[in-house]
Amino acid sequence: MTPVYRMEHVSFRYGECPVLDVSSLEILPGEIVALAGPNGAGKTTLLHLMAFVESPSNGDIFFFDEKLRHDNIISLRRRVGLLLQNPYLFHTTVIGNLLWGLKLRGCSRTTARDKALRSLRSVGLSGFEYRDARKLSGGETQRVALARALALDPDVLLLDEPANHMDRESIRRTFEIVRDINTKHGTSIVLTTHDIPKVQHLVNRVIHLRGGTVVPSLPENLFPGRLSEDGMAFDTGKILVRLPDRAAEGSQVAVDPTKVRISTSLPGSPGPNSFHGTVVSLKSGNGTASIHIDAGERFQVVARADSPLISDLHLGREVWIMLPSDSISVF
Amino acid sequence: MRFFIDALYNALSLVLGFDPEVYLVVWTSLKVSGIATFLASFVGIPLGTLLALKQFRGKQAVLLILNTLMALPTVVVGLFFYALLTRQGPLGDLGLLFTPEGIALGLFVLALPIVVNLTLAAVQGMDPRVFVTCKLLGATPAQQAWMIMREARFAVMAAVVMAFGRVISEVGIAMMLGGNIKGFTRTMTTAIALETSKGEFELGLALGILLMAVAFVVNALLFFIQRSRG
Repeated sequence: MTPVYRMEHVSFRYGECPVLDVSSLEILPGEIVALAGPNGAGKTTLLHLMAFVESPSNGDIFFFDEKLRHDNIISLRRRVGLLLQNPYLFHTTVIGNLLWGLKLRGCSRTTARDKALRSLRSVGLSGFEYRDARKLSGGETQRVALARALALDPDVLLLDEPANHMDRESIRRTFEIVRDINTKHGTSIVLTTHDIPKVQHLVNRVIHLRGGTVVPSLPENLFPGRLSEDGMAFDTGKILVRLPDRAAEGSQVAVDPTKVRISTSLPGSPGPNSFHGTVVSLKSGNGTASIHIDAGERFQVVARADSPLISDLHLGREVWIMLPSDSISVF
Repeated sequence: MRFFIDALYNALSLVLGFDPEVYLVVWTSLKVSGIATFLASFVGIPLGTLLALKQFRGKQAVLLILNTLMALPTVVVGLFFYALLTRQGPLGDLGLLFTPEGIALGLFVLALPIVVNLTLAAVQGMDPRVFVTCKLLGATPAQQAWMIMREARFAVMAAVVMAFGRVISEVGIAMMLGGNIKGFTRTMTTAIALETSKGEFELGLALGILLMAVAFVVNALLFFIQRSRG
């Protein structure tokens, strides 16, 4: 299967300041992928590279096996839709905003109008055609911008922090539209987030970024330290994590929060990485629960909100956590 | 005071009586200023946009020169073009000296740095998201520049109005390149200067009132356009 994006040794710098360094990354057709990480992790920069509004300082980007070059950047850009975190609408009507991109692609007046109206309908904004685009609410602005991107029938839709600056209803509606486009047209979706539980139910895969590089797990469960016991364990200074394989080098251990198991009692056969701790925070929404457990280190665990165990948990509850071998990586 | 009131009364009679001499002068002024502003906008708006969007070596020097040209003394422009357009000058064969076209040429040079500089400032001061939005919608650099000019249209319109205000109210260029020929190159400002020196205070004042009225109408138009579309 030809990947939508293939990135090889891609780096990006603003002036002398390096902000992104991705050695290898692939996005497959039909995937819904989240780029997750804290502020400054390089998510938006990576999204802008994928939208071809920025060019990498080094490395190659392939879009459906077509290598990004200086002379094809505009044609590639026209195959991608990007919804900015805080989108800009032109000083004209709502429909005027949708028509411009279509006219650039040589659409006839009638076709452009039909596509624009269809797109507005798909985001629930029928009847908004002749409204002044600059006088819309934040949620409406976001939906007009989404309609503007969708009207162009992109091969990939990129969304920068779609859950920010929107109320719960607008988020729900946006995600519904995104899932619908993905299901009906097989459009690949890449979105950025700093709050995985909010998008967990929507995405097929999460790519974690930290400090401009792809890391194997959520930054929340990333602990610095050093190897010990001849590379068979990792000492964070507070806990000792047994490694599944001998590691030659590494200064951080990452634990995938979606794979960590919780038990309210001591397991019958505790594995090598079972830790006793206390629930220090508990949040749920969009079908997922995010639990923070202080077990020497502060672990984040992401689980389904309807799991029976979750209803037993409360702040201060003593629990055991087990780290399966496939949840641990050292780098 | 009596003298001033009488002069004002006579001036208003000339204005409201549609005195042909007065209105020919007004027409000449509007014509040369209009042509100069139109040409300065035609060249200056794209140039200002381009300068704002492009990075190149020596850009700072170009900006410094443009800023200096904003304060160009009109008599210097008049003198410079007089030397170029005079019969012995390099452009003497064009026969533009002491013609409305000659005045318009000088006024164009006066208006151009104003339009370029204010367009440049308008584009540089735009919401930065507009640039990335144009790009991500797939616009070519020329299409991006066009859309950016459209987005900056109200500020650009103000630049054009300012340039028009500057050229319609200047006297040095019109005097040196037009020669203040009655019925041909006499503009409102050269007529005011001449009539006042001749003691024809009423005619000078009448033209002054019309000059202010033109400035008011142009600014009022801009104000209403900005209010209704802004």
